[in-house]
Amino acid sequence: MAESSEPPQQEVSSSLKSDRVSGLVLLVLAGWIVWLNSEFPLGTLADPGPGYVPLLLALGLGVIGLLVAFFGGDSEPLRAIRWTEARRAVVILIACAVLTFALERIGYRLSVFAFLVFFLGVVERKKPVPMLLVSAGFSIVSFHVVAVMLGVPLPRGPWGF
Amino acid sequence: MVETFNSLMMGFAVAFEPRVFMYAVAGCVIGTLVGMLPGLGPLAGISLLLPATFGLDPIIAIVLLAGVYYGAMYGGSTTSILMRIPGEAASVMTCVDGYAMTQNGRAGPALAIAAIGSFFAGTVGVIGLMLMAPTLASFALRFGPPEYTALLLMGLFVLAYMSGGSMLKTLAMAIFGLLLGMIGIDVMTGYTRFSFGLVELGDGVGIVPVAVGLFGISEILIAAGQAEPPKVQRPKLRELIPSREEFRLSVGPIIRGSLLGFAIGIIPGSAHVISSFVSYGVERRLSKHPERFGKGAIEGVAGPESANNSAATGAFVPMLALGIPTGPVTAVMIAAIMVHGILPGPMLIEQQPELFWGFVASMYVGNLVLLILNLPMVGLFVNLLRIPYAYLYPCILAFCILGGYSVSNSVTDVWIMLGMGAIGYLLRKFSFDLAPVALGLVLGPMLELSLRQSLALSGGTYAIFLQRPIALTMFVLALLLLALALKPVMFKSKDWRSNVGLEDPPGS
Amino acid sequence: MNIRYLMSVMLLACGVAQAQDVFPSRSITMIVPFPPGGVADVTGRPTAAALEKVLKQPVGVANRPGAGGAVGNAAAANAKPDGYTVLMALSSITVIPEADKLFNRKPAYTLDQLAPIALISADPMILVVHPSLPVRTVKEVIALARKQPGELSYSSSGVYGALHMPMEMFLHAAKLKMRHVPTTGGGPAITQLLGGHVTMTAGGPAAITSHVKAGKLRTIVTWGAERHPNYKDVPTFKEQGMDIVYYIWAGMFVPVATPEPVVKVLRDAVRQAVSDSDFKGQMAKVNSPVNYLDAPDFAKYVDTDAKRLAAVVKVVGKIGN
Repeated sequence: MAESSEPPQQEVSSSLKSDRVSGLVLLVLAGWIVWLNSEFPLGTLADPGPGYVPLLLALGLGVIGLLVAFFGGDSEPLRAIRWTEARRAVVILIACAVLTFALERIGYRLSVFAFLVFFLGVVERKKPVPMLLVSAGFSIVSFHVVAVMLGVPLPRGPWGF
Repeated sequence: MVETFNSLMMGFAVAFEPRVFMYAVAGCVIGTLVGMLPGLGPLAGISLLLPATFGLDPIIAIVLLAGVYYGAMYGGSTTSILMRIPGEAASVMTCVDGYAMTQNGRAGPALAIAAIGSFFAGTVGVIGLMLMAPTLASFALRFGPPEYTALLLMGLFVLAYMSGGSMLKTLAMAIFGLLLGMIGIDVMTGYTRFSFGLVELGDGVGIVPVAVGLFGISEILIAAGQAEPPKVQRPKLRELIPSREEFRLSVGPIIRGSLLGFAIGIIPGSAHVISSFVSYGVERRLSKHPERFGKGAIEGVAGPESANNSAATGAFVPMLALGIPTGPVTAVMIAAIMVHGILPGPMLIEQQPELFWGFVASMYVGNLVLLILNLPMVGLFVNLLRIPYAYLYPCILAFCILGGYSVSNSVTDVWIMLGMGAIGYLLRKFSFDLAPVALGLVLGPMLELSLRQSLALSGGTYAIFLQRPIALTMFVLALLLLALALKPVMFKSKDWRSNVGLEDPPGS
Repeated sequence: MNIRYLMSVMLLACGVAQAQDVFPSRSITMIVPFPPGGVADVTGRPTAAALEKVLKQPVGVANRPGAGGAVGNAAAANAKPDGYTVLMALSSITVIPEADKLFNRKPAYTLDQLAPIALISADPMILVVHPSLPVRTVKEVIALARKQPGELSYSSSGVYGALHMPMEMFLHAAKLKMRHVPTTGGGPAITQLLGGHVTMTAGGPAAITSHVKAGKLRTIVTWGAERHPNYKDVPTFKEQGMDIVYYIWAGMFVPVATPEPVVKVLRDAVRQAVSDSDFKGQMAKVNSPVNYLDAPDFAKYVDTDAKRLAAVVKVVGKIGN
């Protein structure tokens, strides 16, 4: 916490702690799993059914979530967690999701090429020539190695590419 | 002894036949390449190559596949150390300290020690296989569901030593992993659990997509958006070679890891993946400076890497001596020799001595080839880090997605990987450790299944765990381990809270 | 050598234009719903190779494992019905929809989404016991099980799986109760038996041969309609007065809407492919002799099998309730 001088001391101690939040999230997650799990027969200790072990685990997760929240008083305040890279992280995840979605629809080589052009050209603003070379080279060479030499049927687009 | 020696010489004669030797080398090279592709591990590697072996001699087929298997094991550690991307479950622990070493500028020594440790472990494994295969195999068969349960519980208790962070948070992550392992069809009853109607989730979530997401993708999410891109490293030659101190620290972990890995590896089932976790826990427990673990301790690379390689060799013991598959990898290998009309079984060593001894000899050769191949390549690999990060990370992402897709020709694994990347990112922001999730996911389905199988065997009485000597011994050991782990909590009562809650002392 | 061949095939696949009318004008994909090395895979690959020779087009195998075959079967059932996607399925294809029904699940696919092309192989299951068990005939097994009700145990490849179904048929027909230990596959099921943790299991001829020869397993009886050529001394259940039959078979399917002329091409191709001597040799090596049936007979075969297994699934019901 480099900025210890900035916020008044009282506000830091009263502000929400990160472990309080994560502990409660775990508790909610546990509750959700218990609810999901209710459709499976529990069985008995001697003959545990499909719902038995998950229920035990979810209960354990809930208890630990509570404990994490309870002992979380000295943890880092929530607002001390910096999210400077969060925007880039979201962009990356969305781009990956688009690539995954496109993979079986327009084929491996085209979608990976577009993906790399997006990152190198738009996000990282590299010069066009190396950008195109890397994008095209990567998509073609990796396709050749994996699909042709290893025989993985990588998806091809409607134009056979 | 003389007989073994003579047979081994015959084996070497087979292994050094130009064609066989060529394929052994080819297998090692292909395996190393496959292992280095993020997301593709040994299983994917040999599954992909299996069809190509149908037209080859059985000995060549098995030598080639074994080479790929080993090579992928080696290659997997490369991406784990350089990019924090595990190629398989066994290299998850390597990610932790290996990548930390890379960030400290010690990628070269980490890679070198991983290669040397793997070589030593592989050799120990082959010697064990050669001298004791039949004896060990019949012992391994005595591992039924109750013994398995005990073994896995011991694996679970390793958690206590796995991370330096808060014990509560470690436990929370382990349970999260165990719960992830509950996804899919319940083997005992056929119920599909937590699959949200997706058929693809029937077999559960694979460890590889989860590990690649949690470790690799989350790292990129954190690193790519930094105002300053990660430093490009220009290692000097001197920095590629482990220092004397690093060698000294690695000797113990390598030896312990090799023996431990082999012992766990011979047990039928998929338990061998826990060997690297157990080795990591053991080394951290034995270390005089456990606080270095997670921050680039070379022992944390040497131990697990050795353990996973000797476990890989150990897995061949029941396969060759009894003809039973010990896991998916050996199942594929068995198929590779079965299509040639050779039935792997208890008689294999007698009926096909050339095959067995040729295979054993080629494993010696393969290990050596890999060492020779990998040590000089350390310099080359480390130079990958010179690529500007802006170029590197999009390619790594594309590789991860490619690898995730190739495993079962479906995008489901890729979605799991991306989801886990997001979760891993958030967990790291909230300072949770990720390795326990991987351990939980590996253990979860096996532990639940073996527990319920044991109860099915015993008709519902837990006495079955006490009536069987091996299981009982292991339970006692597990309890001892647990007691040892709890000791600091019990006796340092004055700061028990720091053990339960936050262990990070103000100084660090 | 095969690697180079494979590569040239793949390269060829890239180059072939698709705008031709005659089927097949480009490469065909055979979906194998199990991982490489499984029964479906070692049957599918030689079949694909033999089909390639007949059709003069590449036939690539794509493993789509998952959920006991459900993932790959569903992928094939929902594929474009143009003949360029075929499925090499195992007998479990009829059980999965039944199990889905039992659990009120949205079925991954239904049997009527797929049209049978040909049966390739069918292997009868054989009942094997641990040699320490003092029984040699099925009558002795039954007598022992009656003497210790619910004490004997058997392992299987998973509930409703290829080893569970025949055991349930037997137990139901003989009115026995045994402890059931499901495992994650055929290999682990046999390992449990070899280790003496369970007393018996059902096994395919290929999986048990080496263990039987080494005296580690003892054969009792077979679910075959007649005796297996490699196991002449193992009687059938029918001979023992029990009318139960169970084969684990592998057969080829296409999506049901595939046009009739295309189906005919494929049927003719399979008929020629199965008489290929390379193909026969390969199948003999994996101990799974060719057992060819053309579409009409195969359809009847699937139908009978489906009914028989549906009945067993009903008898077994939901486990754990």
